[in-house]
Amino acid sequence: MINLRQVSKQYRTERIETTALDNINLEIGKGEFISIMGPSGCGKSTLLNLMGLLDEPSSGQVALDGKSIDRYGDRALSRVRNERIGFIFQQFHLVSDLSVVDNVEIPLLYRRMSNKERRKAALAALDRVGLSSRIHHFPTQLSGGQQQRVAIARAIVGRPGILLADEPTGNLDSQMGDEIMGILEDLNQKEKTTIVMVTHDPRMADKTHRVVRLFDGRQVQ
Amino acid sequence: MIKNYLKVALKVLGRRKFFTFISLFAISVTLLVLLVATALLDNVFATGAPEVHADRMLGVYRMTMKGPENTWTSPVGYAFLDRYVRPMAKLPSVERVTITTAAESVVSYLNGRKIQSSMRRTDGEFWRVLAFDFVEGEPFTTADDENGRRVAVISETTRQRFFDGRPAVGKTLEADGQSFRVVGVVRDVPLLRYSSSADLWVPITTAKSSGYKEGWSGNFSALILARSPADLPQIKAEFQSILRGAEKQIPDPKSFKTLIAGADTLFEGAARLFVPGPPVVDPAIQLRAALLALMLGFMLLPTINLVNINLSRILDRASEIGVRRAFGASSRTLIGQFLIENLVLTLIGAGVGLALAAVVLRIFNASGLIEHAGLQINARVFLYGLAIALFFGLLSGVYPAWRMSKLHPVQALRGRSA
Amino acid sequence: MIRHLLKLVWNRKRSNALIILEICASFLVVFVVATLGLFFLDNYRRPLGFEWKNVWNVRVGIPHTGGGPGDGGSPEQAALFERLLREVRSFGAVEAAAGTAVTPFDQGGFGGSWTIDGKNVEMAIDEVTTGFADVMGLKMVAGRWFQEADSGLAWKPIVIDRELARAVYGTADPVGRPFGKPEPNERQYRVIGVVSDFRKSGELMPNDNFMFRLTDLRAPDVRTPSNLLVRVRPGTSPEFEEALVKHMQAVAPDWSFEVLPLAQVRATSSRFFLTPLIVAGTVAFFLLLMVGLGLIGVLWQNLLQRTREIGLRRAAGASRAAVHRQVLLEQMVVTSLGILLGTLLVVQIPVLDLIGVLSNRVFASGLLFAMVTMYLISILCTLYPSTLAARVQPAEALRYE
Repeated sequence: MINLRQVSKQYRTERIETTALDNINLEIGKGEFISIMGPSGCGKSTLLNLMGLLDEPSSGQVALDGKSIDRYGDRALSRVRNERIGFIFQQFHLVSDLSVVDNVEIPLLYRRMSNKERRKAALAALDRVGLSSRIHHFPTQLSGGQQQRVAIARAIVGRPGILLADEPTGNLDSQMGDEIMGILEDLNQKEKTTIVMVTHDPRMADKTHRVVRLFDGRQVQ
Repeated sequence: MIKNYLKVALKVLGRRKFFTFISLFAISVTLLVLLVATALLDNVFATGAPEVHADRMLGVYRMTMKGPENTWTSPVGYAFLDRYVRPMAKLPSVERVTITTAAESVVSYLNGRKIQSSMRRTDGEFWRVLAFDFVEGEPFTTADDENGRRVAVISETTRQRFFDGRPAVGKTLEADGQSFRVVGVVRDVPLLRYSSSADLWVPITTAKSSGYKEGWSGNFSALILARSPADLPQIKAEFQSILRGAEKQIPDPKSFKTLIAGADTLFEGAARLFVPGPPVVDPAIQLRAALLALMLGFMLLPTINLVNINLSRILDRASEIGVRRAFGASSRTLIGQFLIENLVLTLIGAGVGLALAAVVLRIFNASGLIEHAGLQINARVFLYGLAIALFFGLLSGVYPAWRMSKLHPVQALRGRSA
Repeated sequence: MIRHLLKLVWNRKRSNALIILEICASFLVVFVVATLGLFFLDNYRRPLGFEWKNVWNVRVGIPHTGGGPGDGGSPEQAALFERLLREVRSFGAVEAAAGTAVTPFDQGGFGGSWTIDGKNVEMAIDEVTTGFADVMGLKMVAGRWFQEADSGLAWKPIVIDRELARAVYGTADPVGRPFGKPEPNERQYRVIGVVSDFRKSGELMPNDNFMFRLTDLRAPDVRTPSNLLVRVRPGTSPEFEEALVKHMQAVAPDWSFEVLPLAQVRATSSRFFLTPLIVAGTVAFFLLLMVGLGLIGVLWQNLLQRTREIGLRRAAGASRAAVHRQVLLEQMVVTSLGILLGTLLVVQIPVLDLIGVLSNRVFASGLLFAMVTMYLISILCTLYPSTLAARVQPAEALRYE
């Protein structure tokens, strides 16, 4: 499903060049649930960003479903992101001025759909994560776990095949974290969603199929 | 301490150059308009040549005669002024009294060229109530007036028009079909000096017919020079009681019963002009209220704009503020620093506005839209401008400063502003 | 998408409030200036009702007249005026001459307010001699102008304009009809003719109701006119003016004469109205510039704060163009709210009929002009900030804590 071949990423400021990733080769099959682990600053988030087409590699190839995204322009990239990928962040990144259901609808705004269809899909996604009773609340009125669930609903509302989660339980206590993990496992088992999760927590990583370890931008084992 | 604040303020302002620029733009445009308006008003209402004693001068410019069916408002007639106002010169608080016509438009034909001038007919006392700047010759006297001598004092521009700028004393010019011998030349008087301005001044008695001597309404006004500004209220009261006495002698008692007039300062006189007919509320108060409303109304948009900009400036630095708070800076220090920044900005903007106003006024004077406008930024206008600028800066800084004090430090550190 | 943005803007109304207020205030400024300008333009395009080229106004200063109530001057003065008219007409360069109390284009004037059939009618008045219609080139649309013989009538003839006819008589023919009720010991006014228009205040002012009364220089209670209007032959040299004045001065040495071509009175009068408009327009322009700059700064800073939201939307699949569009549309919604507020305020004027002379058409045009201007300014000011927003790198934006 996701294929990275000899991917490297350098960041250049005025004087300093940092290598975030060095010669990564990774293949993730459909329906897999992968964790990426490593100490801080080892490039985990960068890797996720590249997979999510939020960034371009300095060298190497990123391919989704066998198609390389090398020459994709902004509009094409955006479409792929919209239709195939869903994101979950450590800080949730919910829009505080919008209600829960309006937040979940966001990805669907960038597709041609009627308002009714959007609403239906959003409600379905919220039901999937067990938040049907909170649809008109605002993010500030929810607990951390609930906010992350909204974020998950937002990520799955468009029925993407891939979910990319960057430390999804990082801001939550262990109980809430387990809840979230439970939802992700459910999605992976029932809907066969491919999930790539960056995490610090070995407990979480243990629940996944495979662990990729990074150190200073390189894969290690 | 203050110097420290100033240095920080300047550095901060330099960091966000665009914000600084748009703030300065807003302040200088606003101040430019207000300064020009103030200079205009100053030219009309404040002391200035030749009305150098305006602070102790009162004028009777208009009178309303009111009857059951009719109301007649106009400048005053010679008969009334000569009989009731001229004797006021004998009052201990009054130095002297003069009677003059309003400036009337007259035509002269010189070598096939048509010259339009404004002419005032005055008495001899006129030159002692007002202080004209004579560049040639001298004024005519009461004796000249009493003997009906056809003499004239002309302005520099008139000298230019009639005599090509060459020395004019002793020469004659023709105006309104009469010949006058020039006895003096004065510096141009701004048109807005409505008590005294004209292109040429001649004695009252040179009027073509003596018909002006009759009637309580005419084209005249009287100027009363008090001994000191403190005497003004008493003189005004005295004039009112004279009016009451005069009512008993109204020439046309069937049509008119009451007289409404006043011994007015320049401001009050103008107010009376704008509020026609019998006033319900003191016209001076009305004019003052109107001017204030106009100024505040104009300042509304710039103030909202500046509040917006200031607020953005603060929110932009929310995280910086959070950091400072975390390190122990109190609300007071931070707000104080912001207000100093605001003040510096306001003063610089005011300076720019001042410079622009000076340029605009110079252009305006040269354009001749208002003859001999002579608008300038004198000390009075400058101080008014400064006061307005400070007021403006305060107005636009209060709300943003208050918002700043409400910033939650933790949220601010996160970069959030609410 | 629009609904989403509406919700977004509405939920943020507190922080948008100041911008909405600023747009509302700017809208009002533009509206006032535009409406004034359009008012003048609208009036300018209507017919004046008289010819002013080659007409001179001679202001006649008669000692001690026009300076007091009930002070019209003596019969001797009236006879002298009549003589002046005769002599002036005898000049070859003069096509017609007449006396008038009021000078066309002049700001001063005569007015009256009558109650007719229970209605309160305001009007402007002029008292003229019979030659006035020839001098000014008036067009009659009904009835006739004054004649010499009218002096002997048992009633007072008047000529009115179409506006006054409409106000008093509606669609009925006013010719021959009485006008109002006479004062005690006064003769009845009766309409003998209707002129097409007479806009004494000039092209920039709307139509007044206008009434002409006859000045009979031979009547005992006559008010001698303060002005003498002269129509000269086209091409008459300006030197003739001096000759004319000298002649009149010789006939009446006590009187003052000042000649002003109507072209000059018209120019002065226009300046009186247009100068404040030009000044207001210039000030408004700079104020709008100031508002525009302020908007750019505020918008830019707003978007800076929303970097994370923008990054998120990009991650969710918004293309750069979509972000661009969203920012623009959001700002349009905010602007619309400001315009709506301003319109609500301003629409009170015709609803409450606060300014009678303002026609609905001019009002609507002014409103439209102000709306378009505010939208244009908003679009221009959003261009740069929206471009910056679209350039936000999602990876960077989402990285921040």
